[in-house]
Amino acid sequence: MKNETLLCIDDLHARVEDRMILNGLNLEVPAGEVHAIMGPNASGKSTLAQVLAGHDNYEVTSGSIRFLGKDLLSLSPEERAREGLFLAFQYPVEIPGVNNAYLLKAALNAHRTAKGIPEVDAFEFMRLIKDKMELMEMSTDFLNRSVNQGFSGGEKKRNEILQMLMLEPRLAVLDETDSGLDVDALKVVATGINSLRDPERATILVTHYERLLELVVPDRVHVLAEGTILKSGNHELARTLDKRGYDWVRDESASA
Amino acid sequence: MTLERLHEAYASALSGLEVSDTSRPLRDAAMDSFGKLGYPSRRREDWRYTDLKPISAGNFDPTPAIPNSDHIKHAHQLLDESLLDPNVSPMIFVDGQPEPGTHPPELSGLTVLGPEQTWEQIGNLQRKELYERHPLAALNTAFASSETLIRVSEGSKIDQPLHLVFITVESGKVTQPRILIDMPQDSSLTVVQHFIGEDTAAGWTNLVTQITQDERSNLTLYRVQEHGRAQFHTELLESKLARDAHIKLGYVDLGGSLIRNDVQIDLAEPGAVCELFGVFLTSHGQHVDNHTRIDHSAPQTTSREAFRGIIGERGRGVFNGKVVVHRGAEGTDAEQSSDNLLLSERGEIDTKPELEIYTDAVKCAHGATVGELDPDQLFYMRSRGIDEGTAKGLLTFAFANDVLRRIELPEVRKRVASSVAGELPDYDSWGGLL
Repeated sequence: MKNETLLCIDDLHARVEDRMILNGLNLEVPAGEVHAIMGPNASGKSTLAQVLAGHDNYEVTSGSIRFLGKDLLSLSPEERAREGLFLAFQYPVEIPGVNNAYLLKAALNAHRTAKGIPEVDAFEFMRLIKDKMELMEMSTDFLNRSVNQGFSGGEKKRNEILQMLMLEPRLAVLDETDSGLDVDALKVVATGINSLRDPERATILVTHYERLLELVVPDRVHVLAEGTILKSGNHELARTLDKRGYDWVRDESASA
Repeated sequence: MTLERLHEAYASALSGLEVSDTSRPLRDAAMDSFGKLGYPSRRREDWRYTDLKPISAGNFDPTPAIPNSDHIKHAHQLLDESLLDPNVSPMIFVDGQPEPGTHPPELSGLTVLGPEQTWEQIGNLQRKELYERHPLAALNTAFASSETLIRVSEGSKIDQPLHLVFITVESGKVTQPRILIDMPQDSSLTVVQHFIGEDTAAGWTNLVTQITQDERSNLTLYRVQEHGRAQFHTELLESKLARDAHIKLGYVDLGGSLIRNDVQIDLAEPGAVCELFGVFLTSHGQHVDNHTRIDHSAPQTTSREAFRGIIGERGRGVFNGKVVVHRGAEGTDAEQSSDNLLLSERGEIDTKPELEIYTDAVKCAHGATVGELDPDQLFYMRSRGIDEGTAKGLLTFAFANDVLRRIELPEVRKRVASSVAGELPDYDSWGGLL
């Protein structure tokens, strides 16, 4: 039996200003799966992530995205998040003056209100976050620090995963969450991602490198280049890409 | 309150004030100066953006008030609702008069002196250019009440902050507190000046704070202005710092109708440091003008200045920050910033950093920004499920809070932050988070 389709992207075209970035992208992600999207620089990977989250710098010119059966493109960024979509940013934004605790509590309560469940109080919030902070190896003073301000690259990425663990999305899109991490930090991040794997949820890992995929083993691997999916396969494809690069995929696709 | 009216009032005020022999000649000379100088007009470069006509044409009574027991009771009600720190008993001034029976806290090393000693000190400090620089200081001298001299003994470090609260109850009055702070060698003190008042009380507060700082003295002063919405407020704070002295000043303006703050700091000897920050909110016809001047008169002096303005619907803000690096002040290190958030197209801000450098080998940086909220920060928060109104509210609060963090008194910081938050858009949707 095939699992429920969480995300269905059909013939997606998108541009930034006058430059077309996505040119007819198709992708289907069923519940319970981890999909990796790999590809050379400037192939459209981050654009896809930003379009999914609803950034208004990107204009979708044609095509559709259905998420849990709903028309994703008609929803505001906050509505998408409350429906269960989460984007871990490639470059998490620094917000001086906003504590991590404010951000997380506001986000969590927005999700709960949308679901019709009571908001968390300070005590409940601490109870919920404590174990997750331990899992992500984050110190307790973190909650009173400004969001991402003065964080190292690794801390920023762990913070993204912590937010994901708190919000428990149905679909997490992780945009190069592995880049700039040393081996130990990569393991912590992978542990966080794996802890949320279950038959109800799915994950899209946007990455350059195969090394994360040894720790978070994908069900499917897609090669994104020139704004479209050129090739899909299993984990073995990622290993091949790691050895051989992307040119052979382009050649294969051009001759097809 | 025309000049004529002021002269008349001065003659009658002298009988109302218990004018000592020490103060009389100083008051007379000051009244004479103000008579010649008049209200600073917009023709003066430093008053270009702030028109005092609502004050000069206003029908105020410059005779110091004598609060009755009802006024005092009312003042206490206001104070109960707005104490900055419930653990500290402030010195209370009602409509410009010390509350009868109010006692300064008894702290070892701290003396709070009354009018007689204050006037002696005013006489000692008399620098004839003061009135030229700030004519309203002359008016304050002529009519001064609440004269208070705060003196720390040499070498004393006072841990507990001294709170002064000024409460406006009666409408139509001019109150002109005169506060002097004397910081001898190696002394340290934190002072809080807090202004509150009834929204219906429309009057004018014209404050002068004069500070002297000897070697290695360390003064922190927070001035929290939460006047009623109809109050006018003008003030001058000046300090001259000796070798290795340190002053930290925080200005918060939330209330009032027309506000003009003048801060003039002279880093007169090597190693002197000035930290100056401010946050102001202005909307609905409020006008807030911060005018600061820092003189680097000696080598190896440091200044750090940061003001943030949040300008809402029909709010008007002015920032003018002058930093002068004098000849011979090598090794000066000066940083100044004025950042402003415009929440409405119907708000206005004029910001003007001025840097005058007359020596080489200095490090100076200044910058001014006027803008809206950062779209990337907004998107990041919305992508977490936070609605746009809440995200904007939190970001606006963060903009102010980033500077308010510099308040080192935890109770005051929390209380001020929550008052700032309460004034911002959509507070109900996000205020619960704080």
